[in-house]
Amino acid sequence: MANDMEQLYQQRLTRYTTAMRNEKPDRIPIRPFVAEFVARYAGFTCQDVVHDYEKAFEATRKCAAEFDWDATVSNMVWVWTGLTEAISLKYYAVPGIHLPADKAFQYVEPPEGAAWMGPDDYDALIEDPTGYLYNVWLPRVANDVVAPGEPSTMRNNLSFVKGGMAMMQYFGGLAQQGQRLRAESGTVSAIAGMLKVPFDIIADKLRGYKGLCMDLFRQPEKVIAACEALAPHLLEVAAMTADPLRQVPVGLWMHRGCMPFLSPEQFERFYWPTLKWILCELHNRGIQTLFYAEGEWNPNLKYIAELPDLSIVYHVDRGDIEEVHRALGHKFCLSGGIPNDVLALGTPDDVRSACKKVIDAVARDGGYIMDASAIMQDDTLPENLRAMTDFTREYGQY
Amino acid sequence: MNQIQQTNRPPMTTIPWEEKLKEMPPIPGDKELVERVWKQTDSLGFLYIYFCLLGF
Repeated sequence: MANDMEQLYQQRLTRYTTAMRNEKPDRIPIRPFVAEFVARYAGFTCQDVVHDYEKAFEATRKCAAEFDWDATVSNMVWVWTGLTEAISLKYYAVPGIHLPADKAFQYVEPPEGAAWMGPDDYDALIEDPTGYLYNVWLPRVANDVVAPGEPSTMRNNLSFVKGGMAMMQYFGGLAQQGQRLRAESGTVSAIAGMLKVPFDIIADKLRGYKGLCMDLFRQPEKVIAACEALAPHLLEVAAMTADPLRQVPVGLWMHRGCMPFLSPEQFERFYWPTLKWILCELHNRGIQTLFYAEGEWNPNLKYIAELPDLSIVYHVDRGDIEEVHRALGHKFCLSGGIPNDVLALGTPDDVRSACKKVIDAVARDGGYIMDASAIMQDDTLPENLRAMTDFTREYGQY
Repeated sequence: MNQIQQTNRPPMTTIPWEEKLKEMPPIPGDKELVERVWKQTDSLGFLYIYFCLLGF
């Protein structure tokens, strides 16, 4: 038993990293990804935690200490709307401003005909992604940013000054939050870095999902070329922001690669080549990726099995976790698989039963991290998360 | 996709050093120092726009 916080932290870090190497630690690590849950648990509204990140940090520290988890995310709510408002980004619906204060923030995708990137913009994006983002995309998504050639304004200048300074402030705060989690509760910050799949970025922030679906049929080669143009840039962002000690993985949440958004044939042609390239390049640099397979990904398991051993930690949401274990368990650590509806609507006994089923099926030889299937928002019941935590601590001993 | 594709504006760059160098007077001092510091601070411009794209 650890006798001080640093010893406890090191014990947990060893447990977590051993599992991520697909080996057997002393017991199953508990690493819940908890977003709006922490706000409700700590008595804050969604507006409180998205608009005042110190409250989000405080709520996360409270949960980490009181639930006694091995690892968690420093701030799973992530978006600080003070920052997005400073930049004047148009695409967020903010609790307390555009939404009731007790509702989670939302990303508002524009209608198909008003996408941030038009269907004829592909060549400009492919030629110079960074130039396109500054010259075309940012003026379209930020109210105060004017396009090159238009008269500049004070609000344009302030968007960059306030946006840049606020970004530094927020990232500085996140670094401190990691130190406080370590010092105050011995909790490991579970992930580091920033990565998205090229195809997802085109769907989410550029063409929109509907527009991109039309492009898959009308100009498929442009979509492929755009993914290839973006990939080296997204790789460098991930590498630059990854854990310098290479202990915890880069988090990768994927949006449009699963069924039914893309068929396996479309996945193979459009989504997978650049994703695979990025993951292999990160692996070559000693960086592991948390492959957060949100949704139903099992039709794509044969592609994921192509990745180098230990290059990812594979997180299971709606896929059959036993099938995942058969396909990938010899290559990668798995995490997740406890249904969110059980955590929100079931009883503690239901949760214990779900945990036992998953542990018995996939965790007998190590290489498993306990977590819900998807990020826990404010519908997860505290007594159920407590049951998941306590049951795993006891039953998950090796 | 086997290698990083080179564009006029490679990753971690907003205003390439070669472009900036053309605007500068002859450098009598340590040119490599000027280049290194330019590239370091220029990369912040790259990170800003990609943080907006990916994170916010």
